[in-house]
Formats: sequence, structure tokens, C-alpha cells
Amino acid sequence: MSERRIGLEKKKMLAGYVYIAPWAIGFALFMCYPLVYSLWLSFHEVVGVGNFELESVGWDNFNKAFVLDTQFIPLFISVIQDAVINTPLILVFSLFIAILLNHNIRGRAFFRAAFFLPVLIGSGLAMQQLLYAGVGKDTLVNGIGVPDEVFLYMGPTFSQIVFDMLSRLTIIFWKTGVQILLFLAGLQGISISLYESARCDGATEWEMFWKITLPLMTPIILLNLVYTCVDSFTDINNRMMVYIKDTAFTNIQMGYASGMGWIYFMFIFVLLILVFVSTRRLIVYTGEK
Amino acid sequence: MKSIPIPKSKQQLTAAKQTAVGSKVKAIRNNSLVSRIGSKSRWISLIYRTFVYVILIDLAFVFLYPFIYMVTTSLKHPVDLMDFTIKWIPTSMAWENLYYGMKGLQFMTHFNNSALIAVLSVIGQVLSCSFIAYGFARIKFPGREALFFLCMFTMIIPPQTIIVPLFMQYKTMGWLDSVLPLIVPSFFGNGLRGALFIFIFRQLFRGLPWELEDAARVDGCGSFKVYWKIILPLTPPAIVVTTLLSLVWHWNDFFEPSIYLTSEEKFTLPMMLPRLYQSLDTLTGSSFEVFSLPVVMAATFMALLPMLLVYFFLQRYFIQGVERSGLVE
Repeated sequence: MSERRIGLEKKKMLAGYVYIAPWAIGFALFMCYPLVYSLWLSFHEVVGVGNFELESVGWDNFNKAFVLDTQFIPLFISVIQDAVINTPLILVFSLFIAILLNHNIRGRAFFRAAFFLPVLIGSGLAMQQLLYAGVGKDTLVNGIGVPDEVFLYMGPTFSQIVFDMLSRLTIIFWKTGVQILLFLAGLQGISISLYESARCDGATEWEMFWKITLPLMTPIILLNLVYTCVDSFTDINNRMMVYIKDTAFTNIQMGYASGMGWIYFMFIFVLLILVFVSTRRLIVYTGEK
Repeated sequence: MKSIPIPKSKQQLTAAKQTAVGSKVKAIRNNSLVSRIGSKSRWISLIYRTFVYVILIDLAFVFLYPFIYMVTTSLKHPVDLMDFTIKWIPTSMAWENLYYGMKGLQFMTHFNNSALIAVLSVIGQVLSCSFIAYGFARIKFPGREALFFLCMFTMIIPPQTIIVPLFMQYKTMGWLDSVLPLIVPSFFGNGLRGALFIFIFRQLFRGLPWELEDAARVDGCGSFKVYWKIILPLTPPAIVVTTLLSLVWHWNDFFEPSIYLTSEEKFTLPMMLPRLYQSLDTLTGSSFEVFSLPVVMAATFMALLPMLLVYFFLQRYFIQGVERSGLVE
């Protein structure tokens, strides 16, 4: 009897590996091997263009990126700057909008559909076309209905700053679709009875937000943080991506491109580890894992 | 204290869900507190609700703006475009913009390319990611957690890091300038954000009751049959979410197609957008640069139209799906 049981268990275990197999193959072929090869490549450089003849160059590519290349560091910094400024704003706004949408309002379906729409154009070329056409510059000003007189009153320099901030915000808004949905899903998951009992104890909406909603949303905030970071680092409008692509395929410096790719990857990796470590104590997990 | 008078519809909604204890609590609250605070808090509630609506409508405008702009601009004659008093509604509809836009994109050819890549990738990702997720969610085996961590870890690998080796790999495999590099990884749970979809499916599968599976197994179902006949049909929310996101991301993807596809007749629809002027110039034999914004917008709109239509039909299920897919535990 017991022997047969073990046999079954073993069979089941094997079945588990069968299910994972497609992923393991895909991972090996399309992720792991290229990643390792890319690391190896970053210590080499193409010398013969025709048949990709490679030559070992040691740490030269990394040296080039950090010391010689005048473009890499400024681009890298601007990408990091964008991510650092945009990510918290995206998180705050999407949480704010999700909370508004979670109210029992009329036309909820319409609003939800509307707020997800920019994802359809999100990072695609269509968005680039729209941005070239100047959409995004005055959207928020029109949307909120700020009268021109306000800008006149503020004076040219200050109004320019405000204007730039508003256009930046507009583009940030258009990147919040997926995050809003994730937050909404999370908000729906919080049990109503928690709020009910808090109300009975005389808690205000404000208190309930800080004591119930926010703590219970921390896992989703973390998920969104990771998603937003990764998203902003791999966005098509991200100039770093364009630069790496040009280096590899226009200038045929594949080793150098791989090196830059790895610097980029290591940066994201370290950043996310820092995020995980520093937020570990703040995250509230409910229920069993 | 503004929260005490709950809006009527919400009250009804929650009342339906509440147990006897809950409704008793509500009754107490209604009797004592509301009467004490009375009309003052009703005013606050009204102001609060108005405020919420104003913000929502404002924000909805901001979110819809690119679409409204795209549609109205694409229907403008050049004359209307220059006239700044005409902001939204053109004096006459310039339908020919759409025609030129379609011509410039060579719509049918590139629509077929895009559709082929997107649809096959979606099928691949839905099938493979759910299959893999079933293994991660419902079968215990040694090393499962580590493998799952590795799988999630692939989410943060930027495509530009591995693009060069992949390019060389596909070159030796002879896959360049074909749709294979864009489709095949999807069937192995990779492709665009495959790990995210595995995560979505796994979250949902984990929440399903074990009794279902046990019953099926007692009746002699193998694990594949359990996955295919029981678990997968129970998860339309995750399937809709995955389908729509995967479709949109593959449709809009530019980075990978622009590297793997080299001959123009194989380009995807969005890849034609930057070539629009060029293609229109050769088409009409004249320079389209002047007053071409409406045509560009018309073409952009056409390139997005399939996604808009799909979203229009799926959005109800999609949003329900996100709420129920247990994306978040």
C-alpha cells in the first residue's frame, strides 16, 4: 500500500516537471543562454563585420561606457531621473484614481474603460506620433480648465515651469492604466466588513484610508512599483534603448552594446533588490501564503 | 464624520450582502448617529460627491484626449487645421484622410502581418502560460519555489540586454526576417512579459478549490485532463486579461519586430507609421509634408483601430476579469 503511494507521489512530481518543461526550454533558449552569451560578449568586440569575428578586449567595453563615451552617462542619468521622478507619481496617481473609481459612482463602467484606454497606445509608436503632434503639452491645462490669465499673472518663467510640469503629468497619467487596474483589483479584495467595523468605532474616511486601505494595499504597491520600474526602463521612448540598439545594429559594436545592456541590467537588478529589502518590513501580508 | 450617511445605492448594495448582525449594526448607526448629525453631514457628503465627479470627469478627459484628438484631427481638412477657432468639430468631414492614411500604411498587407504575429503569439502565450502556471500552482515538486522565483526574475531582464545574442542566435538558425522569432518564444511561456502571464494564471489557479481536482482524479482523470477540462474552463477572467494585454502589447511592440524584420513587406502595421511620409510621397508623386498632420493622425488611428475594436468588445469582461483574477491576493 505504502509503496504504491510513493509511486503515485513520484509520478505526480514528475508530472510537475512536465508542466514546467516548456518554460524551462524557453528560458534556456530565449533567456538564459542569451543572457550568459551577452555577458561573454560584453568582454569582446566584433572585428570582422561580415562573419562577426570576435576579439577579447577585457574590461574595455565597461571602461568605454563609464569613461570614454560622452553619451552613455548622461543618457543613463536621464533614464534614471525619469524613472525616479515618474514612478512615485504614477503610483500615487493610480492609487488615487483607483480609490475614486472604487466608490459607488454612476458611470463607473465608463470611467474604468476610459482610464485603461491609453494602455492601448501606451508605449507603442502611435503614442510617439501623438507626442510629435504636440498632444500632451496642453491636455492637462485644458482638462482642468486653467484660464490663460492665470499663466499671464504668473509671469513667463514660472508659468513655463508649471506648464512643463503639467505636460509631464499628462504623459504620466497615460502610463497609469495597468497600475490603476491592479490597484482596483486590490481594493476590491479588501473585505467590506473591515470598513464597517471601523465605522462603528467612529473612524473617519481619512483614518480608514491610513489604517486599513494603505496597509492592506502594500503588497500591490510593491507589485506596481516593480512593474512601473521595469516598464519605464524598457519603454520605447526610453532613449537608452534606442542608443543600445543603434550601437549594436547601426554601428555594429555588438560587444559594447552588450556591455551597456549588462550595466543597465545590473542597475535594475540592484535597484529592485534594494526596493525589496527596504520595504520588507513595511509590507503587510494577510492570510496564509 | 462625513461618512455616516452612505449613499443610498451603496446602502442597498451592502445591505444585500450583510448578515443579520451587520444589518443590526447599520440600524443602530442609522438611528443614533445620522439623526444626531442630520443635514449638515448630508451637505458635506454632497460636496464630497460633486468633488469626486469633477475630478473623475476632468481626469477622464485627460485620458480620452489622445483619442479625441486623433479622431477629430484625422477628419479635418487642412483649412480647418490652420483655423485655431475650430478646435474639435471640423466644418466638413475629410474622409479622404482615412483613405490616404490606409493607402500610406498599405493597410491590408501590414494588417495581415500584424494580425498573424499578434494572434499566434496570444494563442501561444495563453496556452503555454496557463499550462506552465498549472504546474507551478497545483503540483508539488522539489525546487518549485526556486524555479518560480527564477521565472519571475526574468520579468526584470531588459530586452536590450539580450537582444544582441538573440539576434545572432536567430541569424544562425536562419530565423531572421521571418515571424518565427516573434512567435515561437510565446509558445514556451516567454515572449513579451510571459512571466507576468504565468504569474496571473498561477494566482488564479491557486485559489481554486482542491475538491474539484480530487473528485476528477477519483473518477480517473489524469493531471492533463484536469488542467484542460476543469481548471482552464474555470478561469475565463485570467484568459480574457491575458488575451487582451498580450494582444495589445504584441500589436504595439516595435523594438523586437524592428530588429528581426528587415524587408518592408513583412513589417507590422505600427512599424509603417514612421515611413508614412515616404510612402505617401511615392504613392501620390507629390510632397505630402505640407498639411499632413490629419493624414498622419488618420493613419495612427487606423493602426490602432483593430485594438480599439477588440477592447470595445472585451472591455466589460476585461475589467471584471482583473477584479476576479486574483491578481492580487
